[in-house]
Amino acid sequence: MKNSTVESRFENRLGRFVVTRSEECIACGTCILSCHLGVHGRKPGFNRMTPPRNFLCEGPSCAEKETSCVARCPRKALSVSENRQLAALGDNRWTPEMILAVCEMARTGKAPEDGPPFEKGKSFGGFDLMDFVFPASVPEIEESAIDLSIPLNRRGAGEEIIIPLPIYGGGMSFGSISLTTMLARAMAATELGTFTSTGEGGYPEELVPYANHIITQIATGLFGVREETIKRSRIVEFKYAQGAKPGLGGHLLGDKVTERVAEMRQSVPGRSLFSPFPFHSVYSVEDHLKHLDWIKAIHPGVLISVKVSTPSDVDMVAVGSYYAGAHIIHIDGGYGGTGAAPDIAKKNIAMPIEYAIPKAHQFLVNEGIREEVVLMASGGIRTPHDIAKAIALGADGVIIGTAELIALECVRCGNCESGRGCPRGIATTDTDLEQMLDSKWGQRRIVNLYTAYAAELRSLLRKLGLKSIRELRGKMNLLSVSNEPGNAS
Amino acid sequence: MNQLPKQEMEGGCGVIGFASAVPLAGRHLFYPLVQMHNRGNGKGGGLAAAGCFPEYRDFYALQVGYLDQTVRKVVEEARITPFFDVEKTQVHESLKDFREVPGLEIRPPDVVRYFCRVKRDVLEEFALKRGFKSLSKAEDQFVYENTYSLNREYYADIEDKKAFVLSHGKDLMVMKGVGYAEHFITYYRLENFKARIWIGHQRYPTRGRVWHPGGAHPFIGLNDALVHNGDFANYYSVCEYLKQRDIEPLFLTDTEVAALVFDYYTRNLGYDLETAIEALAPTTERDFDLLPKARQRLYRAIRMAHIHASPDGPWFFIIVRSLPEEGALQLLGITDTAMLRPHVFALDDGPLRIGLVASEKQAIDAVLASINAENEEVCPVADRYWISRGGSHTDGGSFVFTLKDGTLTCHDKFGKAVEAPRGEEYGRRIVFGKTEKETAVLPDEIKPGPIPPAELFNLLRSTISSQSYDDFLKTLSSLINYAEVGDEERSYAIETLSLLRDREYNPGSKRRKWLTAMGDAALNEVLSSIPETSGKFILAGINNKNKALGWDLTGKILVIDATEFPQEGVESVAQLMVDAYRKGCRRFIAFRLKGDRFIGCGLGTNSAGVRIDTYGSCGDYAGSGLDGAELYIHGSGQDQLGQILNSGKIVIYGDVGQTFLYGAKGGEVYVMGNTAGRPLINAVGSIRAVINGTCLEYAAESFMAGAEIGGGFLILNGLKPNVYGEFMGLQEKFSGSNFFSLASGGAGYLNDPYHTVTEDQLNGGEFVEFTQDDWNVIHSCLRENERLFGIQVERDLLTVDRIRKWPSQVFRKVIACRKPALEVVLE
Repeated sequence: MKNSTVESRFENRLGRFVVTRSEECIACGTCILSCHLGVHGRKPGFNRMTPPRNFLCEGPSCAEKETSCVARCPRKALSVSENRQLAALGDNRWTPEMILAVCEMARTGKAPEDGPPFEKGKSFGGFDLMDFVFPASVPEIEESAIDLSIPLNRRGAGEEIIIPLPIYGGGMSFGSISLTTMLARAMAATELGTFTSTGEGGYPEELVPYANHIITQIATGLFGVREETIKRSRIVEFKYAQGAKPGLGGHLLGDKVTERVAEMRQSVPGRSLFSPFPFHSVYSVEDHLKHLDWIKAIHPGVLISVKVSTPSDVDMVAVGSYYAGAHIIHIDGGYGGTGAAPDIAKKNIAMPIEYAIPKAHQFLVNEGIREEVVLMASGGIRTPHDIAKAIALGADGVIIGTAELIALECVRCGNCESGRGCPRGIATTDTDLEQMLDSKWGQRRIVNLYTAYAAELRSLLRKLGLKSIRELRGKMNLLSVSNEPGNAS
Repeated sequence: MNQLPKQEMEGGCGVIGFASAVPLAGRHLFYPLVQMHNRGNGKGGGLAAAGCFPEYRDFYALQVGYLDQTVRKVVEEARITPFFDVEKTQVHESLKDFREVPGLEIRPPDVVRYFCRVKRDVLEEFALKRGFKSLSKAEDQFVYENTYSLNREYYADIEDKKAFVLSHGKDLMVMKGVGYAEHFITYYRLENFKARIWIGHQRYPTRGRVWHPGGAHPFIGLNDALVHNGDFANYYSVCEYLKQRDIEPLFLTDTEVAALVFDYYTRNLGYDLETAIEALAPTTERDFDLLPKARQRLYRAIRMAHIHASPDGPWFFIIVRSLPEEGALQLLGITDTAMLRPHVFALDDGPLRIGLVASEKQAIDAVLASINAENEEVCPVADRYWISRGGSHTDGGSFVFTLKDGTLTCHDKFGKAVEAPRGEEYGRRIVFGKTEKETAVLPDEIKPGPIPPAELFNLLRSTISSQSYDDFLKTLSSLINYAEVGDEERSYAIETLSLLRDREYNPGSKRRKWLTAMGDAALNEVLSSIPETSGKFILAGINNKNKALGWDLTGKILVIDATEFPQEGVESVAQLMVDAYRKGCRRFIAFRLKGDRFIGCGLGTNSAGVRIDTYGSCGDYAGSGLDGAELYIHGSGQDQLGQILNSGKIVIYGDVGQTFLYGAKGGEVYVMGNTAGRPLINAVGSIRAVINGTCLEYAAESFMAGAEIGGGFLILNGLKPNVYGEFMGLQEKFSGSNFFSLASGGAGYLNDPYHTVTEDQLNGGEFVEFTQDDWNVIHSCLRENERLFGIQVERDLLTVDRIRKWPSQVFRKVIACRKPALEVVLE
């Protein structure tokens, strides 16, 4: 994975601090000489300073020093404070620190080295209450030799697919997000050797060059599903449910059903689309088996992933799916994102993922089939630490959605469901707004994100004394639950 | 006892049942169970028989399965000898070694049967203590409670299961265990065992490493046994309901509680069948509103008392009941109110009157074929096949076959009888003549060849009503002989024979089922005798299919005999078609199908030019994903057909099952008969479908097929052929509560001159004017419909009560309601 800095699309990206310059400033330029980060500047021929590039400032830790611009300014015109706007960014799950950290990872390919801790959020639950327990002494392990790969087919029959790190991209449909975003994800998955999913809105032709790394999703509305799209993919994903709104199907409100979206889904532009819950042809487990057999009749040898939310009998669902022939069982928890969902459904139903993973994992172990099936978890996986915790709880790997969008500079404003609502041109199919994003830029940002994840995972594993990510699976003894959220591990 | 009751993961399954006044052998249950393997996973199966112990009819047939042989004496001393006068003890015979049955992995229980009555003094004491006025009711309850105690002590409450009661009713027997159901026919040597009712079940449990036989179906009440397809969601609620009545389930599966509830209603509460069925599957919505007031009051009362025991979720029950006081036996099928599980009923009314019910039609066909192979009086095609509509005012979602006084009758939940069409039987082995004198030329010197098959058929059909069976056979024989002349003649004969078995016409005094059976037999004859010398046809069977693939298939017609092919997978008929297609083959005929699935799947994009004809029982998912090809099903289709159909054509000469054309995106579809629930659901694009019968419920729900004119549409004609083969309008063109619900595009056209469909059935759609533009749009489809099925536009569609009408006086148009909140005008 190459490592290169991919700057924000915007001149002034988000930063933690704000540098204020008062009218006392005489534009002497001392600050330019004092700041090693390039916050200050003045264009040749101008006699006023350019506005400070706040996002580069290190904050009080530098400002307090004698050598800082603040200290050295002859007019004491400068001051450094926290960017109060950050408090309005995100929420307790995706905290401002986390959003900035993920953006930084997408920018540089590395986790931020300094700055506030971002490993946990402030939701007072879930992964935010968990910490890793590091053994007192561990053997020497060469970090670069740590193996992060996982197989996606453990059943034997069918193609052997191994991804180099335990993450792939979750389904976000054409219609909920733009084609440029989909392309960015597809190109990144191809470069990384992992996968991304089409979501339920069909398979745009533009993605065909990346078909080897694209999972075709078949959802309950069967939008855009054709034999062709099934035959094209190495993995087919049945979306029975989505953690963000279990018991409901997909929603795409009229605003977002543009001409192109309607054409892809063969419906009517401007009219809202609701996928049913559930698959109308699957009302019993033998129907589920028949359903999987149907896909295998169209594309023998394809790998099948079954995506479900987390009902209280998620363990039985997992086993039932295994017996019906699934290779991957994908449980999507309630913290997951959604492009549109009724308020009452958002985040208020289904079992939290941190309960669902060990439940399913343990049950599969007891049934004696754990080694034959791949258990993937998704729904609000944010940081490398979340990834590691999910795996320690029993998953083989994780699937991410929102994190990739944040890598593309999503600000979590929550207006995804409205047509022209996305201020970053990500969750929109408006032909103007989607041009804000360049797919190649997006590809590099996502590749950086995964690169950073990989580096952090390796570091974590080394500290835990483990040589591969597979060794981490199910090691719940390495986790402890604390009652003080927001602490670093 | 505040814990949630434990429950095993249940779910799948295939069920079958059949009843006949004349006892039938267990071997006839064998093949349908084998054919429903893919509905089970071999971890549980079972069967029940009723009307099987004629000499001991008045004794309880208390049947214990011993998993541990050593415990038999202990159990008898504790639970049998003290309480019962045992008239006869039988050890049910079984194979010496269970491993003789391929696939059977666990030794089934040893079965000992005690024909007994409760000892007089024990009974009187029990009746006195418990306040029973009727000794026979007391006796039933005693047996029931004794079984419960036995099951607890020797099965439920211990780790190491020792024994359990398989059944204890009068004239009733249950066998079950861990394995496929047909294993138990073999192991317990039931091939020749005769009973008047049989039910069978293939289980699909998914939880628990150690599968236990007690968890297999059927489950018993007292004089009844129940099998279940489905998996209902309120097991906990039903358990609570039962516990409040001192009834405790022991076997951790929802099916058991269903059986206990049914027994409670019928035996303890003394409910008649209609009440019991209503309590299980309440009538709701518009159907409730259409009931007479007195019934509404009764049903409301039933619901108030019993709603918590109404199983919620997909379920279909088959129940066998022994009614010794009435001297009767019953076989019932009941579907849940939302009709979430597939089922088919059938009645074959010959000298042996047989009632059947199963998850799939192909299982019914397998039973009839099995019986016909030994008894030529039984037609392999039933007189009637039908589906019930759950929780409806029309049939109540249930049909019952009753055996009493040596006859079989069939009626729905409300007692309305189902009759077979009248007519003389054929009742002999179908044989086609070979010699000159055995075959006549076709009637009136009609010669095949000079006129196209369709015209020949039209000439023939007018003579059929007056022909005898033998004459009809001669007609078929001459076509068979004609086929042998050469390839052109063979094609001609196949086409004409297809018309004779597919189309409706006046059978005269004959039974239509025999004509269909003869047509099928004639086609099988022609297709199976294709010589190797044929230039155009290539016959492939299970033994030579790889060889057939090696030949040059371009321009050829591949004829596949489906006998012994697995129903799905890489060795299936469907896969053979795909392989042959890749080698250039474009024409396919598959015959002797027995529920083979996924026919037409896997051809990929742009399969225009491919034509597939199927004969026999075409299985689930046929034609799903077609993109250009044409599929002609000569017979009825099963479930999930035509899903995601992209383009191409599907023609069904019969009925079709559930979720037909789910998510379809284009193409043209013609169905001669009815569809079950949820046809065209979530269909988009430019799909055009003509259904000549009616749909059960949820027709075109969430239809999104584009513009109201020029987009996709559904035409529902609501016709049914009468005994003369004439298509007449149904009284209720659509009897469900949801036509075009939640739709957002496209159009639905109802052939409904008397406006039998009302606004309250639309649920999100609205009636709009039917204009000349609409007629222009649907006219060409109706002409094709006419060509295919003989349903003439002018005579059968536009003529109502002998008066010619304008199209706008016959057809009504439904479109999606505009919902401003969900719509946006895009600039």
